[in-house]
Amino acid sequence: MRVSDLIALILENLGRRKARVALTAVGVVIGTAAVVLLVSLGVGLQRSATQQLGGIGDLTRIDVYPVYGEPGGGGGIVVMEGPGGVPGIQQPINDQTLEQFAAMPGVTAVIARDWVNGGMMLNYGRLEGYGSIMGLGTDNAADLGVTAEAGTLTLSKGTAVIGAMVPQQFFDPRVRPGQEPPPPPDLLGQTLKATLIKYSTDGVEIRKMVQVRVVGVMAESRGEADWSIYMPLSDVTAYNEWFLGKRINRQKDGYANAVVKVGDVDQVLDVADQINELGFQASTPQSFVQGINSFFIVLQVVFGGVGAIALLVAAIGIANTMAMAILERTREIGLMKAVGATNRDVLSVFLGEAAGIGFIGGLGGVALGWSAGQIINVLALAYLAGQSAQSGAPPPTEAVFTPVWLPIFSLVFATLIGVISGLYPALRAATLVPVNALKYE
Amino acid sequence: MSTPFIRFAGLRKHFVMGRETVRAIDSIDLTIDQHTFSAVVGPSGSGKSTLLYLLGGLDRPTAGSIEVGGQNLDQLDENDLARYRRRMVGFIFQSFNLIASMTALENVAFPMRFARRVRRERNQRALELLRLVGLANRAYHRPIELSGGQQQRVAIARALVNDPQLILADEPTGNLDTHSGAAIIQLLSDLHAQGRTVVMVTHDPRLSRFATNTIRLVDGRVVSEADYEQALAIDAARAAD
Ligand SMILES: Nc1ncnc2c1ncn2[C@@H]1O[C@H](COP(=O)(O)OP(=O)(O)OP(=O)(O)O)[C@@H](O)[C@H]1O
Ligand SMILES: [Mg+2]
Repeated sequence: MRVSDLIALILENLGRRKARVALTAVGVVIGTAAVVLLVSLGVGLQRSATQQLGGIGDLTRIDVYPVYGEPGGGGGIVVMEGPGGVPGIQQPINDQTLEQFAAMPGVTAVIARDWVNGGMMLNYGRLEGYGSIMGLGTDNAADLGVTAEAGTLTLSKGTAVIGAMVPQQFFDPRVRPGQEPPPPPDLLGQTLKATLIKYSTDGVEIRKMVQVRVVGVMAESRGEADWSIYMPLSDVTAYNEWFLGKRINRQKDGYANAVVKVGDVDQVLDVADQINELGFQASTPQSFVQGINSFFIVLQVVFGGVGAIALLVAAIGIANTMAMAILERTREIGLMKAVGATNRDVLSVFLGEAAGIGFIGGLGGVALGWSAGQIINVLALAYLAGQSAQSGAPPPTEAVFTPVWLPIFSLVFATLIGVISGLYPALRAATLVPVNALKYE
Repeated sequence: MSTPFIRFAGLRKHFVMGRETVRAIDSIDLTIDQHTFSAVVGPSGSGKSTLLYLLGGLDRPTAGSIEVGGQNLDQLDENDLARYRRRMVGFIFQSFNLIASMTALENVAFPMRFARRVRRERNQRALELLRLVGLANRAYHRPIELSGGQQQRVAIARALVNDPQLILADEPTGNLDTHSGAAIIQLLSDLHAQGRTVVMVTHDPRLSRFATNTIRLVDGRVVSEADYEQALAIDAARAAD
């Protein structure tokens, strides 16, 4: 039998039992709509979650810290003198370590960092500000993956690059409650007065004044950099030595932190694992994102499963309809065979009809599921926009998202459900002895 | 002597029903020549239909063999048997077996769908055959809109559509009045006259006169005319009691 004739015959056969085909397909419509809608909801939730989590920032970045606690002791509370000079750390992040990191495949940059280990106040005119001040072991802050909004990212002695949010941290201590606070200052190119404050053992406050010139403002990254003031590591080392009153041995004490940049997102977890194996603590947003993703994959599987159960019920409906059809049309099957249809022809016709019901139902289900998703989007977004207007958070842009593969997959799946549920009835039809089929009343 | 067109050898068809075995065909050895018109007669339950179905490849025998045109049906697999039914045999049933949702034309054209013929050609041929059976003006009517005799003529047209050599008819006039029946018999003898081999089962002894030979069945066996008359007499006597 020609394929075109086969399809024509299947369509004719479906067409002459429109009511029953439609009723049977309704089950598939509901099942497919459930699959499409629920999986779209899962995907949509994942997307808006990822969007909201955009602030966790740079996925190609690994933050490395020394491990505190007993070596191999699994982070005990006993603080002891480690091999390094700093109490409690197992291994210092020193220059050899940095070289080891840099040699790992995929690593594009390694930046040692240290914080200012004491009180440091910043003044700009009448304004006073605090920021997270960090020394970078590179002369270009761009190595961290940040971009400049204005000015330069190149650091030299006595200069700083500040995050986009830093100006907002500056306030006028003399403004009384109720008075309009001054607008955030434009700090680019300005020189800040920095005051380092420490206390001697007998409680006397000692101050040291330094000047810091802001040479660049970083673009907003929704990450750590937004709130940070980056300075050359040597400057911060000098401040810390002043605080401690002694020289710092980087070889022995190590750096507080290192940032390892990886070229390819897919290699990030590998590199992090290798760093962990060396005895450091490597943290990456990637592992967090993966955790979230696997949660949503579970969610989608559960949602999809609920839809699949609905489809399974529909499959029983198709099987029943086909079994009935074959009983009713037994004589017709006998006739088909008497006039020369092969078993395969009969099988194809009945399987095709079952697949057709699945396909029609799938088509309806995809349309229904998709439209329902759009309606939910409109309603939910209106509601959520109202909510976030109150909370001030950015509103989500979608609640339900249908990826392109989903309707295609659902359609194929619904058709397949039809084929599978039609298989047994169709096989029975195909293997009927013609004479018995013809005599059937 | 030419080899016969159809040869039954040691043919049996038994139906096992629980403990009982029905010997519908109980050893038949018989030959039928080409271009003949055979009438198969016999009392009800004597195995006429069973014999015709076996010959048409719609069922398989319990034992023995059937040869048609030098081909042993036993040796055909399911696909080959389907091809045999499609190319060699045109079957006409007592109950017409038309598909109710299809027009006369579609019914006639139906077998050609399995013969890989294109639609235009199918419709052309079907119309031609409807004209032959005198129903060109009913081509677009559904079976329910046709009389019994007209439906059977549509069925005959359908049987002819793949141009088979062998026409098998199982009581083709059984559901028809005398007048319509006569028209059907006329059509079948025309087919015979055109060179086809026709085997027709009938209850009606009057129809036998159209046949070139008569096959008499009693209890699944072929019997002579004398034995046949005797069997009928016994039957009639039994019925009279
Ligand atoms: N599928 C079957 N299962 C069991 N027995 C059957 C079957 N088909 C036919 N028979 C039996 O085989 C015998 C012959 O049946 P068949 O239909 O060939 O008779 P027939 O000569 O055509 O009779 P009628 O003139 O009434 O049509 C009958 O006894 C019938 O009951
Ligand atoms: Mg019969």
